[in-house]
Amino acid sequence: MAGPAVAVDIQGVGLTFGLDTDTPTVALGEVTTRFEPGKVTAIIGPSGCGKSTLLQIARGFLEPTRGRLRFVEVSSGQETARPGMATVWQAFNLFPWLTVLENVAFGLDLAGVPKAERNARARKAIAAVDLNGFENRFPRQLSGGMRQRVGIARALVMEPDVLLLDEPFGALDAQTRLVLQEQLATLVETAGTTAILVTHSIEEAILLADRIIVMTARPGHICDQIDVALPRPRTLATTHDPQYARLFDRIYGVLRDQVLRAMVIESEGA
Amino acid sequence: MAAGTDKVALASKPKVKRRWVWYDDERVLGWGSVALVLVLWEIGTRLWGVSPLYLPKPSGIVVSLLHMFQSGDLHVDLLWTLYRIFAGFFLATVVGVSLGIWIATSKRVRAIADMYIAMLYPLPKVTLIPLLIIWLGTGGPFMLTISFLGAIFPIVINTVLGVRQCDQGLVLAARDLGASQQQIVRRVLLPSAIPSIFAGFRLGLGVSIILVVAAEMVVGKFGLGARLYLSGQILETEQVFAVLIVLATLGIIVTKAQDAIDRLLGRWRLS
Repeated sequence: MAGPAVAVDIQGVGLTFGLDTDTPTVALGEVTTRFEPGKVTAIIGPSGCGKSTLLQIARGFLEPTRGRLRFVEVSSGQETARPGMATVWQAFNLFPWLTVLENVAFGLDLAGVPKAERNARARKAIAAVDLNGFENRFPRQLSGGMRQRVGIARALVMEPDVLLLDEPFGALDAQTRLVLQEQLATLVETAGTTAILVTHSIEEAILLADRIIVMTARPGHICDQIDVALPRPRTLATTHDPQYARLFDRIYGVLRDQVLRAMVIESEGA
Repeated sequence: MAAGTDKVALASKPKVKRRWVWYDDERVLGWGSVALVLVLWEIGTRLWGVSPLYLPKPSGIVVSLLHMFQSGDLHVDLLWTLYRIFAGFFLATVVGVSLGIWIATSKRVRAIADMYIAMLYPLPKVTLIPLLIIWLGTGGPFMLTISFLGAIFPIVINTVLGVRQCDQGLVLAARDLGASQQQIVRRVLLPSAIPSIFAGFRLGLGVSIILVVAAEMVVGKFGLGARLYLSGQILETEQVFAVLIVLATLGIIVTKAQDAIDRLLGRWRLS
């Protein structure tokens, strides 16, 4: 959040594995979109549509085989360097040999932040996800929901310009998920961070996002983009809003066809 | 069915601490069985008058053992053997872990190393003793090399295995948090391989002990192996047993020390 507002601009980006073989696999069709600074964008779509691939391309961990990924300074329209990014993972990916505090301070430690400062910042981030008192526990001593709160703290402590959420609650039970969705919504609102959320959950997308991108079955491309104008802060009560129901139905309508198509594609592939 | 479930309930229920009985205590059973065998051995050899040339009495072995320590410089032999084992072993830990990480992280190095490991690992290392004597003589360098060769393979192989089995999600997470390639090796791959590396140390030290004692039996003037061989040559069976006891004790100490280290490494255990 330190630098100027930067948008992530994606133009015709796609990825095909094994282009030089007889059986290339299209991981991502062709996607053109723009992730605006300060906004939360949710990407939703059937399994295998390439939504996580798109996230990895935005992060720079995968090179697209088509199209262009650019970072654009909004005020000047100039192309600029990659903004700071941090990811929250579906599988948590906490370091099991490090305590909660050491996990959260890991990125700061790598960057050479002095111990006193990084511990102070880590403690603040841990407090922000309500894990005070668990600083010296190891990940295996925590429940799934608590582990993912550590994962969120570990990403937020880096003060990223762009927060990447890769199905962050996919591995959690339904109740824990509800609570964490609300907490994350609050955290993102107060931080004003740009966020890209990949999810299977329509509810999660509506509760967290300013804009929802619906993707088709493989080869994935965008089939609908929906702005979510529901007022914030959004809580569980938001789900009773008639506007919520209309959004849900619209997304479900689009998604249902795509999921059914994905099932056919999968059965043909098998 | 009803009776069956009753049984399960009963079996899982007694959380209450049970009264201490000697036949449930692991230590009593372990040490007790050893003591029982020794007593039967002592009584048996006395009763049937077995010649100490074939099977000496335990009491005689103990006397012989004390005597060897007091006037026979057995402790000098012990120190020689320990020095030879651990000098080579420690060298192998440093070289083995570094080499293992290199092999695990570089495809090219792995392709080359795979060939040598496949050739040399299954080879019984005692078969290298004649060649090593031709090259190095029978002194310190020879002993260092033989101990090193014993330990290095299990350490390299376990390090490679540990590093290769590292959860790729952790590597991605570290990269995401800004880790350089070197930081990933030091801060993620190495710590995640620690349990496997220590399993390699354990196996390697075992082979080192075997090889050093065997090498001492062939060429040594000092060391437990040499002492064992010389005692056998002059039919001092009590002394042979005494040296065996020292070796067995060494084995127990090494094993228990490694168990303790494993417990200390509990934080590395996943999930």
